[in-house]
Amino acid sequence: MIVNSETLSDAKPPVTVKGTRDGLLFLLDEQADMDHLCEYLHSLLFGETASIFDGPVIEVVVDYGKRALTPEEAWRILGQFQARDNFLIKSWGGGTDARQSMFQRKSSARAQHIYHGLVRSGQPLMFDGDVVIIGDVNPSGHVQATGDIYVFGRLLGIAHAGMHGDTTAIIAAAEFAPMQLRIADVISRAPQLKATMEYAYLMDNQMMVAEMKQFMTWNKARRRHTNQERR
Amino acid sequence: MGSVIVVTSGKGGVGKTTTTANMSTALALLGKKVCIVDADIGLRNLDVVMGLENRIIYDIVDVANGDCRLEQALIRDKRFEHLTLLPAAQTKDKRALTEAKMVDLVGQLKVNYDYVVIDCPAGIEEGFKVAVAPADSAIVVTTPENTAVRDADRVIGLLERDKVGDPRLIVNRIRPDMVKRGEMLDIDEIVQMLGCDLLGVVPDDEAVIRNANRGEPIVIQPNTPASLAYRNIARRILGESVPLMQLEEKSGLWGRVRKLIGGR
Repeated sequence: MIVNSETLSDAKPPVTVKGTRDGLLFLLDEQADMDHLCEYLHSLLFGETASIFDGPVIEVVVDYGKRALTPEEAWRILGQFQARDNFLIKSWGGGTDARQSMFQRKSSARAQHIYHGLVRSGQPLMFDGDVVIIGDVNPSGHVQATGDIYVFGRLLGIAHAGMHGDTTAIIAAAEFAPMQLRIADVISRAPQLKATMEYAYLMDNQMMVAEMKQFMTWNKARRRHTNQERR
Repeated sequence: MGSVIVVTSGKGGVGKTTTTANMSTALALLGKKVCIVDADIGLRNLDVVMGLENRIIYDIVDVANGDCRLEQALIRDKRFEHLTLLPAAQTKDKRALTEAKMVDLVGQLKVNYDYVVIDCPAGIEEGFKVAVAPADSAIVVTTPENTAVRDADRVIGLLERDKVGDPRLIVNRIRPDMVKRGEMLDIDEIVQMLGCDLLGVVPDDEAVIRNANRGEPIVIQPNTPASLAYRNIARRILGESVPLMQLEEKSGLWGRVRKLIGGR
């Protein structure tokens, strides 16, 4: 079961404009109708509110996603951008760097979930993002998350953090007595471990367990590290 | 309109059938009209524990197949007028009893009885699903062993998923002396882990086995600890608040003397 509380906004406009450090990024919806898209684009670039694009020459990246364009369609769109004097088309394609860096930033702001209740034996729970479980995870209960797992109760079962390969994910619990710990693809048994307020993390692909009071400093270091990687 | 209770456990051998027989008899003793349904098809035992084995002519699969009327398959208990048993089949194909048929059948019984108690087979496969389908509420039986508690946890999860009212717990065959020595899971620990209401605790009692072999539920004998425990459970089902009985081993003369002089 994938639990995902992210709300999807309907009525998405066919063109999304984002300001980036180097200029403007135009994201064309890959599923929108071609005519609708062109109309929308025309009113955006030459309509009433088009004056917001006026000014000095600006670099423009146009990204059409996974849409397969015929040469005519490509010209139809490109022509509109070229018609604006102050637009300098820097890049045109389906998976531009600008778009990718955009998406990476989006995925790193992970979804967060709160789950109330007992996780019983044979009840696999899966979360996209970080999760806080308010309740116990019973023996053989199985919690999976693509991000961190925090158990506000007894962790007696199996926890799998960073299940899609995030080695910086952690597992923390108020009462830490797990049957098995998994972070990314590292699996470890926790023999006779019974402690309060502990968390598990990976260091050089080794499962480590530390007291929760060290978590703040550790987490700061982790944030710094991921921020660097993003740049 | 009566209430339908399913008695289940996941693990086998924890005392579902014994609990069903005794709890139902205790309810009948308190003046309620009770029908016990044995849903453990192929391995029927309930009739043996109740001492009604030799009266079976038709069974639940016959009813499901339409080979007899429901009333023909019901067996009245030889001791209590209020108590009736619908026996399971021994050899017939159990696939005849589907969830829909079970719901229909129990729906008919519900009209004439205060309580319909279903004895569930072990496991969580088809038989479990059929037994649970018509239930309004569930009683989960466990013993103070890791395996039984684990299975109870799993079963409670399934019951919650199927939206069978709040499952209540009976901890069976507890041995106070072992708990005291820390060799057995204690009740608080079990209740905390399973996170559901405790309906009763039944002490391990040789008399239970002795009576079951004779085909007489233990509740008929008023003065054994297990009998008292089952009677209390029945009263709690009726909504009375009965405190848990003190589980203490019978201390001998020396124990009493030691208590007097202030020892443990």
